[in-house]
Amino acid sequence: MINIALPKGRLGERAYALLSSAGYACGEYFPDSRKLVFCDTDSGVSYFWVKPADVAVYVERGAADVGVAGKDILLEYSPDVYELSNLETGKCSMCVAAPADWQDDMSRPLRVATKFVNVAKKYFDGLGRDIEIIKLNGSIELAPILGMADVIVDIVETGKTLKENNLKVFENIFEISARLIANKASYNFKKDQITELVKRLNGEVNA
Amino acid sequence: MCVDELIIKLAELYERHGLRRYKPGCFEDYSLYLDNIDFLISKNVIAFGGAEGRLLALRPDVTLSVVSHLPDDKNTRKLYYAEKVYRRSEGGEFKELDQTGVEFVGDIDRVCESEIVWLICDTLSLIGGRYILDVSHMGYIEGYMRALGADNAQSRVVYELLREKNAHDFVGFSRTNGLDCGAAEIFDSIINIGGNMADAVAEAKRYALNDDMERAADELECLARSLAGWEFCDNVRLNFSIANSADYYNGIIFNGYVDGVPKRVLSGGRYDKLLKKYSKSGGAIGFALYLGELERYFKTAAGVADSLILYGVNTQREALLRAREIIAGGGTVRLASEVPEDIKFKSVTDLRKFK
Repeated sequence: MINIALPKGRLGERAYALLSSAGYACGEYFPDSRKLVFCDTDSGVSYFWVKPADVAVYVERGAADVGVAGKDILLEYSPDVYELSNLETGKCSMCVAAPADWQDDMSRPLRVATKFVNVAKKYFDGLGRDIEIIKLNGSIELAPILGMADVIVDIVETGKTLKENNLKVFENIFEISARLIANKASYNFKKDQITELVKRLNGEVNA
Repeated sequence: MCVDELIIKLAELYERHGLRRYKPGCFEDYSLYLDNIDFLISKNVIAFGGAEGRLLALRPDVTLSVVSHLPDDKNTRKLYYAEKVYRRSEGGEFKELDQTGVEFVGDIDRVCESEIVWLICDTLSLIGGRYILDVSHMGYIEGYMRALGADNAQSRVVYELLREKNAHDFVGFSRTNGLDCGAAEIFDSIINIGGNMADAVAEAKRYALNDDMERAADELECLARSLAGWEFCDNVRLNFSIANSADYYNGIIFNGYVDGVPKRVLSGGRYDKLLKKYSKSGGAIGFALYLGELERYFKTAAGVADSLILYGVNTQREALLRAREIIAGGGTVRLASEVPEDIKFKSVTDLRKFK
């Protein structure tokens, strides 16, 4: 049996659709159900639905053998896991955005509002830019509008929210998509099963 | 079995191999760890001020103490230790952890390397259950970096991608950084080498692109040959996704896993470069077993005794005699005047009502 952690929401549903087409459907799974665990002995899988940011934790700590997590989460938390496949879904970008008329004032630290503290620190460290991090948990776009931050570091999918709030992307830090990750110990002890799952999943991704 | 029992059994095992116990001090100069921070598996060292302004640290690792304190003479030393180590967790709390390990320092030949793998397999086997020892070779990985034409900054990224078995991001990285196309093409094959050690080494030899990779593959072949047919052979696997710091490690390196424990429980390798850093001659190889990772693994077996003997005022001697009989017969027993809540029993003898 392979235990799979999926992120709740659209990304998890897309990942489940891929896994299902690859032969890992779960008879017990109903999208509207409030159940958190679904098993299918015929397919040899058990699915957990968890918060997207927690998928890597479940996998790193071995509660799940494999999981689907966004590249943003993997770069933010750096879990000690194998990253076995790019599922080419849930595509978006990690960007630096600010009000359209923003100009950097190098004479003072840059105020950066973000959920992705480690990503932001690493990016601005690389530029040698002194920053002040403002950790937020949502509605990041509001911070520069209200003058609380100079820029934001956040995920941009279509850019519609930014545009509606008169914000503009100034830098694209990296591209994001969903990745299949595996616990390193599980990979050793369930290598044949996990390798087969990766192979079939890659077949679906490339189909 | 519990962690304490395992430590005793491991000490017996290591002494049967003629290893001497090494007992380092609890405190070291903080600079020992600061200067070798990449050698440590946890970078969160607990430091404090000592007498005369010295900055000290509670040791987070034992190998650095071994290397810095052993005299540089012609003797080959084979040591083991069973010590507490101290670290800060990611959340910042102080942690005291049990760690046991083995270090060979001096003239390290092929027999020493094979004996270390043998000791690792016996160590993991004593824990019980299935285990796997992943073996890699720093020379092979460094040779591959050279074949790619990667500079230091690029190598750091490639090491990370190797550790993740991340072939998809490697494709983009190798293209945008102009790495050697021929070498880049075999990245996927290298991260997927595995399975039976002899077959895996033959595959590694096929992919060798330069002298460094060939030499490393030859060393792995020697190791595979010397261990061929041993009962633990199937548990030893080649896996080039282990990559320790190239500043310290230079030969074979390993990670050990036990079924049921989500993280590696053992790691180590050949670290001649660390010795050289301290201007010491010879080589060194060793491993550490992280007993902290095993505490939960043993938890299910803990808290169970064969018998409970409950005694009353007039049956104390009777209870003691019965307990002596059980222990002499190899069983486990708890003596109590009331039923204890912290332990379960297979059988209960209640002597409280008897005179």
